[in-house]
Amino acid sequence: MMSSKKVLWILTVCLALVLAACGGSDTGDTTTTAGGDEPGTTSGETPDTTEPSDDPVVVRAAINNDEDTINPYTYVTGFPGWNMLMMQYDSLMQFDADGVPQPWLAETVEASEDLATWTVTIVDGVTWHDGEPLTIEDVKFAYDYFLTNAAGRFARDLAGVESVEITGEREVTISLAGPSPAFDQVALGDIPIIPQHIWETIEGPSEATFDIDVNIGSGPFKLVEYVPDQSYRFEANPDYFLGAPAVDELVVVIFADDAGALAAIRSGEVDVIFDRVSPEQIELLDAQDPLDISQGPEFTTQMINYDATKAPFDDIAVRQAIDLAVDRQDIVDTVYLGAATVGSPGWVHPDKPVYNPDVAAVYDVDAANALLDDAGYADTDDDGIREFDGQPMSFEYLTNAEDSLRLRISELVSEMLADIGIEVNVASVESSTWEEAVWPGFDINNGRNYEMAMWGWSAPVQANTIRLGQLVHGDPGKGFLNLTGFDDPDLNALVDQLEVEGDPETAQQLLNDIQAQIAEKLPFVLLAYPDGAYVYNSDVYGDWEFIAGQGIVSKVSLLPAAARP
Amino acid sequence: MRRAGLNRLGQYLIVFVVAVTLNFILPRLMPGNPLALIAGVDVGLLTPDQRAEIIEAAGLNEPLISQYFDYWKSILTGDLGFSYRSGRPISELIAERLPWTLLLAGGALVISAFFGIILGAISAWRRGKKLDLGLLSSMIALESLPSFWLGMLLISLFSVSWGLLPSFGAVTPASDLVGWDHVRDVIEHAILPVATLSVLSIPGVYLTMRYSMLEVLGEDFIRTARAKGASETRVLFGHVARNAMAPVVTFLAIRLAFAFGGAVIIETVFSYPGLGRLVFESVGGRDFPVMQAAFLVFTVAVLLANLAADFLYPLLDPRTRARNE
Repeated sequence: MMSSKKVLWILTVCLALVLAACGGSDTGDTTTTAGGDEPGTTSGETPDTTEPSDDPVVVRAAINNDEDTINPYTYVTGFPGWNMLMMQYDSLMQFDADGVPQPWLAETVEASEDLATWTVTIVDGVTWHDGEPLTIEDVKFAYDYFLTNAAGRFARDLAGVESVEITGEREVTISLAGPSPAFDQVALGDIPIIPQHIWETIEGPSEATFDIDVNIGSGPFKLVEYVPDQSYRFEANPDYFLGAPAVDELVVVIFADDAGALAAIRSGEVDVIFDRVSPEQIELLDAQDPLDISQGPEFTTQMINYDATKAPFDDIAVRQAIDLAVDRQDIVDTVYLGAATVGSPGWVHPDKPVYNPDVAAVYDVDAANALLDDAGYADTDDDGIREFDGQPMSFEYLTNAEDSLRLRISELVSEMLADIGIEVNVASVESSTWEEAVWPGFDINNGRNYEMAMWGWSAPVQANTIRLGQLVHGDPGKGFLNLTGFDDPDLNALVDQLEVEGDPETAQQLLNDIQAQIAEKLPFVLLAYPDGAYVYNSDVYGDWEFIAGQGIVSKVSLLPAAARP
Repeated sequence: MRRAGLNRLGQYLIVFVVAVTLNFILPRLMPGNPLALIAGVDVGLLTPDQRAEIIEAAGLNEPLISQYFDYWKSILTGDLGFSYRSGRPISELIAERLPWTLLLAGGALVISAFFGIILGAISAWRRGKKLDLGLLSSMIALESLPSFWLGMLLISLFSVSWGLLPSFGAVTPASDLVGWDHVRDVIEHAILPVATLSVLSIPGVYLTMRYSMLEVLGEDFIRTARAKGASETRVLFGHVARNAMAPVVTFLAIRLAFAFGGAVIIETVFSYPGLGRLVFESVGGRDFPVMQAAFLVFTVAVLLANLAADFLYPLLDPRTRARNE
């Protein structure tokens, strides 16, 4: 009792001092702040929100990292950098709300039967922000540009492309070395078309410094101001080829962490947050008027990694026992408060069309214990922990401290594995340290410096089912995302086959087999696919479109309904 | 005197070399790799060849010792190089942010000096009384407050609950304010971070002042002043406080330098675009050149502050002057 009284007293002193300090700062610095402490003069900067009919619609969005000048060559991250980039640029195709690419700058997109040649015709009459016409030469230039200047995401998209040729007044033909069934998703819907007349004048882009004058695109918005570590300002392009955007100005505010962005949306200083909010915030934010939540499934993953090259994780029985002993539903309910999808042990998200419905997670502690008993992992010294090779089955479980949800999952996993006599000691370390232990130098040839760890992949890895080999192939050259060192000849053969298979039906059969094999042999244990939940202020703008993997703040959300794919 | 001054400068030079070397070594001792930063978050989508290319382009494959000499070269030529992340010149990044950090650190210094000195003087004057004990215990409690917590508390009260003050940034984004409106905007944005920094700095100033005052109060010349009939106010401000100031000024000079470091947390909590935020971001992403440059600025700031205090002290306190000569 005494202590809480004391705390209250201290707080009062703090506040008094703070108030005094405010006054000191005001009077000390300037003479025009007479009204400086008038309530309500500073927080709601946009006076237009009360009568939205004629006034311009200004949306203020929050991000958590400076994205630099967000031009196609130097922008920093896939999310939200790519979303911001694509406000200014268009790609040949555009993802619709279901995540399916639809023709955009393209009028038609046709793939040859073997899926190795793609022919695209573009829309007529599109202009760049500076008034120049967008031509088929620009399209060829853009693809060639990313093929020659190998840095960054767009060069990766084009792996396997042999040539891009103009085959008609508004037509290009893209030839690939082999079948590429997902080329529309991976490249056509991802790569921004850039203007030849701007970019051909930039020599040595890897050394060039860019200012925002370079950012001439064809997109619905144009970047007009960038203040490092503070904000971006996008103005609507009234001549956009699909009609003027529904929002006149987009201001993107750069926060240092998500707590700052959350405070600002609650105080009305921003109107939407790019990043998803954590599950425990959803209800709180939704309850506050005028904030609303947009929620749906997404394709990021949460999983248990272990060093499968070392005992005891090189034993399939141990991996299977761990898989059986984790209660994925409990993780979804407890950590995500239901806002997640239970992980499929076969890696592929159940909402994906290629998902194999025969693969399902089983939670069975008795079966897990029986597996370990049969494999000879007994608890000989009766301390509740089994032994292997004379050592206790006690492992360090690494997770990154920045992600409190991962920490909670780790604690649950630790409890669940205690039920089968495996002791898991959760070690929470700073992000880069954790990454360096699990994936030293981002090169699996450097080996692994962990026993067990939380891990997760971004949505594009899940989208890329055709390249599943990268995740599980035992040859480091092919399986360069195979962080657990797992190596199984049957699975290697299957993923090799899948990569060159041109027939969709056979490919699906292979995918079903691969999922079944992954679920049985367990290169990793997939726990959950967290949902995305995004918060916005519906008084300012409410017409947000949820696109899986892109959140709600993408250009589609800012276009009038008729212009959306 | 001149030889002593040269000696002192020599000592500072040694400290500088050691500090610069540590600035180089420490970031590289941290596990972690700047590759994710250079390539963007999706390192997983890079082919091994692309990865090797990026590492080479950034000079990360060179032996550490040659990276170290490059670092010295960059310091001596004043060319701090380019950020891995943005590719922009680091001197530009620092020049953009330094004024904001100076505003916060300078503002907090003035406010904490004002309150710290006055409260410290009063406390010492009424030593052992209720007021002194109350102030002393509340200052010690204040000093132990975590800065991020205090910052978040102020945000949740002044911004979220009462809507009185902006919760983030240095100016209202995209507001096109000019002239006095702009000045007022900047001040409104600085109030909460400056208040947080000040509240946390006051106890240090207060404790130094109080202790120094108590020492002076025991001196003979105070008794003399009283004996010759000087008023209590005159004794307090004219004799005691004036003589007690020397250690406080030293403390403040060093405090200003350390405020740079303290700004890391405050600038992160308030998303303030200063040097501390630059450090926070560069450490998180292992942006080695930016880390080195920012730490260099901190190092130089601390050294300069110490140097200034060293030379100021004899001016304030004649007794130390005599010893030097």
